Amino acid sequence: MFGKYKPLWGEKTRLKSSYDAVIIGGGLHGLATAYFLAKEHGMKNVAIIEKNFIGFGGAGRNTAIVRANQRTQINVPLYKEALDLWPVLTKDLDFNLMFNNCGNLNLMHSEAAMNAARMNIATAQFHGVESHLLDAKQVKEMVPALNISPDITYPIHGAMYHPPGGIVRHDAVVWGLAKGAVKLGAEIHQQTEATAIHTENGKITGVETSRGKIHTPRVLVSAGGYSAGIISQMLGVKLPISVLTIQAMVTQPLKPILNHVVSSGAYHCYANQTLKGEIATGAHMDPWPNYTTLTTAYYIKHQAQALSEFLPCLRGIKFMRHWGGLADMTPDMAPIMDGNDPIDGFYMNCGWGYFGFKSCSSTGKYLAEYMATGSCPDILKPFNLRRYERHELMGETAALVNYSPDN
Amino acid sequence: MSLTLTCPICGKRNGYEFRYGGEDKGPRPEEEGLTPRSWCDYVHMNKCVAGVQKEWWFHRDGCGSWFTTYRNTVTNLEVEGPEAKE
Ligand SMILES: Cc1cc2nc3c(=O)[nH]c(=O)nc-3n(C[C@H](O)[C@H](O)[C@H](O)COP(=O)(O)OP(=O)(O)OC[C@H]3O[C@@H](n4cnc5c(N)ncnc54)[C@H](O)[C@@H]3O)c2cc1C
Ligand SMILES: [Zn+2]
Repeated sequence: MFGKYKPLWGEKTRLKSSYDAVIIGGGLHGLATAYFLAKEHGMKNVAIIEKNFIGFGGAGRNTAIVRANQRTQINVPLYKEALDLWPVLTKDLDFNLMFNNCGNLNLMHSEAAMNAARMNIATAQFHGVESHLLDAKQVKEMVPALNISPDITYPIHGAMYHPPGGIVRHDAVVWGLAKGAVKLGAEIHQQTEATAIHTENGKITGVETSRGKIHTPRVLVSAGGYSAGIISQMLGVKLPISVLTIQAMVTQPLKPILNHVVSSGAYHCYANQTLKGEIATGAHMDPWPNYTTLTTAYYIKHQAQALSEFLPCLRGIKFMRHWGGLADMTPDMAPIMDGNDPIDGFYMNCGWGYFGFKSCSSTGKYLAEYMATGSCPDILKPFNLRRYERHELMGETAALVNYSPDN
Repeated sequence: MSLTLTCPICGKRNGYEFRYGGEDKGPRPEEEGLTPRSWCDYVHMNKCVAGVQKEWWFHRDGCGSWFTTYRNTVTNLEVEGPEAKE
């Protein structure tokens, strides 16, 4: 992977001793931020420091679902902009991101859930995001493979249907953004681990890496599931985050049977059919913090049980591959994006859990603005770290997730 | 990634019997003089150590004990704590 091959985005460059900004983490958010820093703010003297290879983290492991039907008024506009950006980025990056806006069906398994969906739908419609409520019969018409009979563990009462969502090719986003950012002047340094962040009188002064020291007045920690550990260990700033391993898997390829992303909170399971015909499915995590990214037999079984109930035609189908990645969970299921607090020049973008693929484009755009101007764009302000001590949690979840206890 | 934990009463058991109770953060802070920040620190904030941490567990599907133990978050294995070595 590294040897004699030339990276897709151009020749390898030497790591310099100083940059205008250093981005820790060559994932979706770091690459998007570098791209927009160069494109919209002319800040090109930027290094992306990546410990392994770009896309090593959640960027290359996610199940690529995109949508903009979140729960709160604060979150929806950010996700809507991200969703609207896929066709724009495909064109601007001149890279096929394979946006398949097949629509998302979020299954509801009780009348209470149907009511919660009505609320969600009203929020979406208020923000100009297309979202409708379907009853069980309409769901069946749209996805004939679904089992709407009442004799399953969680009978299907209806669904929240979100036509503009779907799937984007996650690797293409990594490659496209990397190519785009480097073309505009940013540098990507793989196999380069950030080992310390230096500060002086409350200001960022540099980053220590496995390949030498870098001077810089700005650092963005955008290291996905590794961010909270890095920030706590290197800067002594603790975050309201628990890092868990989340798993996903694909079945053997099948003829086309599923033309939407189908998800179910009650079954803790989502599924969609990839362009290769595999059913990609996932959702669950072992409820204790760990950095293993290992998979468990427990969840293959869980997934098989759930799927064979609501998509019974999949009974007997084989899983081919199964993998895990990190999810950095916050108590309100919303990310933390903040800067210059408590250290000038220090920016962070984390807490994206298992839902940070879909948002990387708009987030990168606004974080770039934040880093270039030093002042926080209005759309990002509510995502600050201090919301937790002010008890202004965001309510992206109906019930407080507590990945410490329960779940 | 199978996890086993040692309950002080039931001994070594399957990890799925237990409920994780969070990083050990020492004693609950005194109410007197408590600020929103220090309370938030106690309730929400974590170190997210990649390595050995002291943590709380509840034997949910067992005897109901709450106890602390040490686990390496990178290997997901329970390990001996510093007390044991003293
Ligand atoms: C199985 C799974 C399924 C998912 N499904 C979806 C989905 O369907 N839809 C969705 O929207 N989201 C999904 N996600 C979540 C999404 O993948 C993440 O939220 C997203 O990747 C976060 O992007 P990031 O750029 O912040 O971090 P990452 O993509 O994780 O990148 C972080 C990078 O930082 C690097 N790094 C770590 N430490 C250091 C260091 N010290 N120095 C330098 N570099 C370092 C890592 O090597 C890594 O490459 C899923 C995640 C998983 C694991
Ligand atoms: Zn016990």
